[in-house]
Amino acid sequence: MAQDNDYGLDIHCLMILEQYRENMPVYKKMEEIVHGVLEESLKAQGIYINALETRVKTEKSLAGKLELKGSKYKDITDLTDIVGARVITFYIDEVDKIAALVDKVFDVDWKHSVDKRKVHELNTFGYSSLHYICRIPKERYFDPAMPQLNELRFELQMRTALQHVWATLDHDTGYKSGVEIPHEYLRNMNRLAGILELVDEQFSQMRSEINDYRRKVQSLVSDGHFEQVALDGDTFRSYLQIGPFDNLLHKIAAINQAEIHPSGIMPYLTVLQALGFKTLADIENLIKDYEEDAYELAAYQIAGTDIDIVSSTIALQDLLIVYILENGGGILGLKMVFDKINGESDYNLKRAEQIMDGAKNLKFMNKNNG
Amino acid sequence: MDVKITKQDAKTFVQLTGRLDTTNAEQFQSDITPLMEDANPDIEFDCTDMEYTSSQGLRLFLMLQKTVSSKGGNMVLKNMKTQVKEVFDITGFSNIIKIV
Repeated sequence: MAQDNDYGLDIHCLMILEQYRENMPVYKKMEEIVHGVLEESLKAQGIYINALETRVKTEKSLAGKLELKGSKYKDITDLTDIVGARVITFYIDEVDKIAALVDKVFDVDWKHSVDKRKVHELNTFGYSSLHYICRIPKERYFDPAMPQLNELRFELQMRTALQHVWATLDHDTGYKSGVEIPHEYLRNMNRLAGILELVDEQFSQMRSEINDYRRKVQSLVSDGHFEQVALDGDTFRSYLQIGPFDNLLHKIAAINQAEIHPSGIMPYLTVLQALGFKTLADIENLIKDYEEDAYELAAYQIAGTDIDIVSSTIALQDLLIVYILENGGGILGLKMVFDKINGESDYNLKRAEQIMDGAKNLKFMNKNNG
Repeated sequence: MDVKITKQDAKTFVQLTGRLDTTNAEQFQSDITPLMEDANPDIEFDCTDMEYTSSQGLRLFLMLQKTVSSKGGNMVLKNMKTQVKEVFDITGFSNIIKIV
């Protein structure tokens, strides 16, 4: 039985081990509360993380620690990592954001907390994380039957995914930061730590730049400077927010007083790109130049039927069909559009042929024939 | 509209015959609804003998597609006659519902 196992420890360490066993229900409850509070707070702040881990140190692991340095602990309360939590972020700037959040939701023991990111000496190596020692404040959780929940401390580590990779691999080398290591390895370890730190910073900077770019695009779109905005997934999404196809869509729906069923227009981006559209101004021109003819096509297809529902994609779909027809794209051009929108099939060729055939009756196809 | 439902392993096959319109859409919905109760519905509609669908039929297929997707399932309409497929095409629904 584990309870009878003394792990070869001296009497002082066995006393600490016994306190650990007695406190186990408190540790388990503490782990549950810490996990819940962190999960809820991160969600409320909209912080998207890589992982949230919590654990209670195993008896075997504690015994190992006591065997090595049990004499430095007065009693179990000196051990602050019996309950441990770890928040792993994607970006380095989020570590500080989470630290600020932790300061709000727990009582941080500043005297014993350490920013290991800043403590490396020249003769040590590493790429470390931020460690806080905390307590659960009474206003967050209090159980009169378990007052130790607010007295015992736990350790909270905050690190990026790359810091986590370093910590995991570092553990494997058998060397610890602060311990003298053979000089020939020190240089390489420092280089590796530097690379990871640089990569973390670059990812963070890249994200900031992408966010700046998105804000700039939104501003250009809302100000109508479409010619300055290259067509890509982000810009097309921003552009759709101003409802560029709404005018035509409502005109088409009005043909049969149809309901408009909201559907995603993003799949049409690949068609626009395949047709050589480079900026949002190209789409604006498509609407300006072909709106009337797209309406004529829709009226030809829908008027006279009992259809009273259309997809919100119908306006762009008809604009593209008309664009192909009027620019000599022919059957293959139409098939390409349908292949990209609906997936490749033999039917798309048949449909393209039908549209080509039907279009002969439309006014816009006979503009140049007087 | 005649609806014939058969099950083979975890997959459901639905054979549709005739016209789907306002006169029978409600019955069609009651026939199909139990199929949506499966955890991961996998439904294949054989439309070989389906002659027509009205807007009401479109709405039902859209509703089914939404339910099936939300449950992580799969729904496909096969062997559709050209005049039926055209209804999906000219309303812009061909890329929302899987038609092969």
